[in-house]
Amino acid sequence: MNAKDISISVKKKDHDGKVSGQLAYIGDVKVDLMLYGVLYRSPIAHGKVRSIQLPPLPEGYAKIGAEHIPGANFVKLLHKDQPIFADEWVTYIGEPMFMLVGPEFDILHQLLDEVEVDIEEHPAILTLEEAIRQKDHTGVFASHEFGERSDVIKAIEQHAHQIIEEEYVTGYQEHVYLEPQGMLGIYTDEEILVEGSMQCLYYVKNALISALACKDDEVRVIQSPTGGGFGGKEDFPSLMACHVGIAAKAVQKPVMLLFDRAEDFEVTTKRHPAKFIYRTALDEQGNILCMNVELYLDGGANAGLSPVVLQRSLLNSAGVYKIPHFHAKGYALKTNTVPNGAFRGFGAPQSFAAIESLLGHISGKVNRDPIEYKRNYIVKQGDPTITGGRFKDPVLIDDMIQDLLQTVEYAKKKAEFHAFNQHNKRYKKGIGASFFLHGCGFTGSGERDHIKATVKLARTENDQVLIKISNSDMGQGALTTLSKIVANELGLPYEDVSFPYPDTKEVPDSGPTVASRTTMIVGKLLERAASKMKAGWQSGVSQEAVEHYVHEEMIPWDEEKFSGDAYPAYSWGVNLIELEVDTLTGNVKVEKVYGSFDIGKAIDEQIVKGQIDGGMAQGIAYGFMEKMTSKSGRIEQKSISDYGPPTAMDVVHIESKLYDNPFAGGPYGAKGVGELPLTGGAPAVQAAIEDALQIDFYQIPVTPELIIERLTKRAGGSD
Amino acid sequence: MVTKAIASYRMKSLDETLSQLSKEDCQLIAGGTDLMVQRKSPRGAPGRFDKPVVFIDHLKELKQIYRVNQDIHIGACCTYSEMMEHHLIPNILKKAMKEIAAPAIRNRGTIGGNICNASPAGDTLPLLYIFNAKIRLRSAKGERAAEIRDFIQGPRKVDRLKDELVTEIILPEVPEVQPYFVFEKVANRRADAITKISFAGSMRWDEGRIQDARLAFGAVGPTIVRAADIEQKLVGQAFPLNDKVIDGIVAEFESLLKPIDDHRSTGVYRKTVALNLLRHFLEVRA
Ligand SMILES: Cc1cc2nc3c(=O)[nH]c(=O)nc-3n(C[C@H](O)[C@H](O)[C@H](O)COP(=O)(O)OP(=O)(O)OC[C@H]3O[C@@H](n4cnc5c(N)ncnc54)[C@H](O)[C@@H]3O)c2cc1C
Repeated sequence: MNAKDISISVKKKDHDGKVSGQLAYIGDVKVDLMLYGVLYRSPIAHGKVRSIQLPPLPEGYAKIGAEHIPGANFVKLLHKDQPIFADEWVTYIGEPMFMLVGPEFDILHQLLDEVEVDIEEHPAILTLEEAIRQKDHTGVFASHEFGERSDVIKAIEQHAHQIIEEEYVTGYQEHVYLEPQGMLGIYTDEEILVEGSMQCLYYVKNALISALACKDDEVRVIQSPTGGGFGGKEDFPSLMACHVGIAAKAVQKPVMLLFDRAEDFEVTTKRHPAKFIYRTALDEQGNILCMNVELYLDGGANAGLSPVVLQRSLLNSAGVYKIPHFHAKGYALKTNTVPNGAFRGFGAPQSFAAIESLLGHISGKVNRDPIEYKRNYIVKQGDPTITGGRFKDPVLIDDMIQDLLQTVEYAKKKAEFHAFNQHNKRYKKGIGASFFLHGCGFTGSGERDHIKATVKLARTENDQVLIKISNSDMGQGALTTLSKIVANELGLPYEDVSFPYPDTKEVPDSGPTVASRTTMIVGKLLERAASKMKAGWQSGVSQEAVEHYVHEEMIPWDEEKFSGDAYPAYSWGVNLIELEVDTLTGNVKVEKVYGSFDIGKAIDEQIVKGQIDGGMAQGIAYGFMEKMTSKSGRIEQKSISDYGPPTAMDVVHIESKLYDNPFAGGPYGAKGVGELPLTGGAPAVQAAIEDALQIDFYQIPVTPELIIERLTKRAGGSD
Repeated sequence: MVTKAIASYRMKSLDETLSQLSKEDCQLIAGGTDLMVQRKSPRGAPGRFDKPVVFIDHLKELKQIYRVNQDIHIGACCTYSEMMEHHLIPNILKKAMKEIAAPAIRNRGTIGGNICNASPAGDTLPLLYIFNAKIRLRSAKGERAAEIRDFIQGPRKVDRLKDELVTEIILPEVPEVQPYFVFEKVANRRADAITKISFAGSMRWDEGRIQDARLAFGAVGPTIVRAADIEQKLVGQAFPLNDKVIDGIVAEFESLLKPIDDHRSTGVYRKTVALNLLRHFLEVRA
C-alpha cells in the first residue's frame, strides 16, 4: 500500500460528536411549543372498525386521524395498501389507528388508556404456514418463477439415482439500531419540515407529498444523525413522517413522535421469516443433476418492500453455485402480523442460509466433506447467472477459500476436533464455512428506471467543497468515505470537503441509502462530478458540478421473465467459524471467526473493518442467538435482553482479510460492502454446530432449545 | 394531573432511615436496578412511584463485610463489584456474580436487592439457598433473622414488614476448606442476560462417603427449588456415586421440577437442562 492509497484510514467526519456523546439524535431535540404524539394502535389482528370513543381531551390536546389527511390515506411506496391511519380496517396488532398529540407524555398515555374502540373481529392469518395453505386464493403480494422448464426437470428426476427433499425455515430478525425510530414534524407558513432518523430522504419526501397533497416545495426533509439503520430506517420512517407531517399541519405546531424500545420491537418492520422447499436430484456419485426450489416470505400485513425483497431472495436461491437445471419459484405472502421490510441483506441472508444448509446436508449424505463438495459447484468468471446474466468480472472466491483453508489448517483442525470430541463428553467442537456473494446496487434496472440518481458538488469562494446528495450516514461511514473520494479526486485536503446532513431543500435525489449502492453508485457519480469540477476549477469563484446516473448496458434485465443481469457487480465472501457446543445446555460458544471478502477496493480500511465486524456479528447471531417470535399475532420479545443480540462478551475477535479486485464501475474500483458481511454468518455457524454434533438442522436460529431437543431425540434413538 | 410529586429521603444513618420507615409506608431503593426497570413508564413519562422513596444505597452500616467465628456477614447494600473484590466472599459466589449483568449494573446492583426482588431467576439465590443464608432484618422496634427459604415467598414476595429493612445476609458456618461447589447459569447470551435456568450444588465427602450434599435450581418454579429430603438420600452414600444412586436422584427431581414455557425458554428445555446439570454434578469423580 503506498502512502497515497485511498484505503488508508482517516479520522471519521462524525468521530468527535459521537465519541464525546455531544451529537444530538432525534430524541435529544426539543423545539419551542413542541407537542408529543402517541399512537393508538390496533389491539387485534384483523377487523373492521365500528367506533372510536375518546375521553374528553384537555385543552392543548388533539386527536389526529384519517380525517386530517389532505391527500390519500396510504403510505406511498410500491402498493397502496398501507394506511397512514387505519380508520376502516385494521390488519395487524399494533397498526396505527390515530394519534393523540399534546404537551405532556404522561397525560397522553393516560388518555390513550381511556380510549374505547369497538372493532368487529375477522379471521386472521397469523402464520406463514397458513398463508402458504391459502396462497392460491388470496394474499399474494408478489410471485416469480424462472429457470429450467418443469418437463425437463421431471425427465431428469425420473432417471436420477436419488431425490433429496428438504425444507428449511428462517425466523424473524430485529434490527436493534442504536436509537429507536423518531420523527419530528415542523409547521411553518411555507412548508412542512420533517426531521428524523432515516436512510431514504426522498422516499419520505414523496410519501409526504402524497399524504399532504402538496407541491414539491411545500415539504422538506432533513436527516438527523442516525446511529444505525440496517434497513429498519428504509421503509418504516415514511409512515412516521406522514404521522408527524399531518399532525404538524393540523395543529400548526411542531409534533414529535418517538418510540421507546418496546414499542419499536412490537410495531416496526423486521426481517422476513421464510420457508424453502428444495428438491434435488443426484446421480450415483452424489453429483447434482437438477434442483428445484420453492420459497415463501412472510410479508406481514402490507406489501411494503416485500416484492423487491422476494426478488433478491430468488436471485440468491442457488447461492454462489452453478447448479445444472435450476428452477425456482417464490412468493411474498400476506399475514396479519407486523409488516416485514428491508433488513441488511434484503432477502439474501435467508436464501444463503438455506442453500448452504442444503448443500452441507447433501455432502453428508454422499459422504463428502462439505467444503470440498461445494467447491465443485462454485461459479467462475464468464459463467451464467441463474437468470441468464453473466459473471463478467474476475471471480476470486475459490482462491479465497483455498487461502483460508490453508490459514486455518482445515484438515488438521478437523482431526483435532474429532479427537477432542471423542474424549470430551460434555463439550463438542465443530468447524463450518459459508460461501456467498452480494449483488451490488438495486436489483435489475432499478437504478436506471426508478432511482435516476443525481449528485451535486458545490464549491464556495473560499474553495471549500460541499457534497450535496440525499444519502445518509447511519454509522456506516458514508460521510467519511464519500468525502475521501471527492477530496482525492480534487486533490484537496480531506478537511476541505464537507458533507452536511442532507436536507431535501439543498440536495438532489441521489437515491436511497440502501442496497450496498452508496459507495459504488453514488461514490462513482461523485468521483465524476469531482473530476468535472476540477476541470473547470477557478480559484476564488463559487462553482457547482452535477452528475446523473448513466446505465452500463449488460444483458438487459426483464422483470416479468426474471431474466438477464440482475446486478452490475458482485461482492464475494467466505466465512469460517470454529465453536464449541455444551451438550448439557445446548449453549454455543463461538471461538474463532474468519472472514475473507472481495469488495473491489476498500475506500477506508477501518470503516470496512467496522462493516465486517458488525455485519458478521449480526449474521452469526441471526444463526443461533437472536430469536423473535410472534404469538397470536403479537411479537413476544419486548426488550433487548429477551431478544438477545450479542454483547461484546459473545463476539470474539474477527480475523478478516480483503482481496483487491477493482470494479471499473465503482470509484477507485470499490464495490458494495454494507450487506455482504451479514450474509454468511448464519450458515457458517449452523454448519459448525452440525459438525460439532453430527446432527443436521433445518432452521435458524439454532437455539439451545432446538439443540437440546435434537440431542434428547438422538439419545432416545428416534433421531 | 397524573404526575404528583413524591417525597424522597436520603438519610444520614441507618437509625434515621428506620425511624422514617416507622412513620410512613415507603418504597426502599438500593441500587435501583430492578425497581427502575419495573417502574418504568412509556417513553417520556416519569417512573410510576406511588409512595415516598427512601434511598439506602449510601448507608455505611449496610455496606460492611465481616466474619464472626465461622459466619460471614454481608451488608445488604454491598454491590456486586464490592463483593467480587472482597476476600471473605466465597469464590463460588464471586463466580456467580461475575455472570450477573455487566459492569455498570454490577456497580449498582446489591445483594439485598437481589434477595428482596425475589425473582426465581435471581443469580445469587441458588447459592444463598445452598449456604443456608440467614436474612437479618431491622426496624425501629428491633431485630430478627429469617432463613432465606422462609423469607422468600414467591416472585417479588418476601416476608418483610413495612417498617423493616434487610440489614445483612449471613452465611453461617462457612468452613475454611470449602466443599466441592458448582454454579451454572444458563442464559441466551454471555452478559446482560436473565437466567433461563440455573443450578447450584455442593458436596462434601470423606473416606469414600458423602457427608453432605445440597442441590438448588433457579428459574424452574416460583422460588428456588431445594429438596432436603432428596439431599438426605445422598448422605452416607459411597463416593463416587454409582449410576443407580444417580439415576434415583435424577428421577426424584424429574417428578419434582415443573418449569413453565415463557418468552425466554420452554418448560421442556428448562427441565432437561436442569436434570442434565444435576446428573453431571453427581457424576463428579474426585
Ligand atoms: C440490565 C440488567 C441486567 C441484570 N442482570 C441480572 C442478572 O444477570 N442476574 C440477576 O440476578 N439480576 C440481574 N438484574 C437484576 C438486578 O440488577 C439485581 O436483582 C440486583 O441485585 C438488584 O439490586 P438493587 O440494589 O439494584 O435493587 P433495587 O432495584 O434497588 O431493589 C429491588 C427490590 O428490593 C427492595 N430492597 C432493596 N434493598 C433492600 C433492603 N436492604 N431491605 C429491604 N428491601 C430492599 C427494593 O425495595 C425493591 O423492591 C439485572 C438488571 C438489569 C437492569
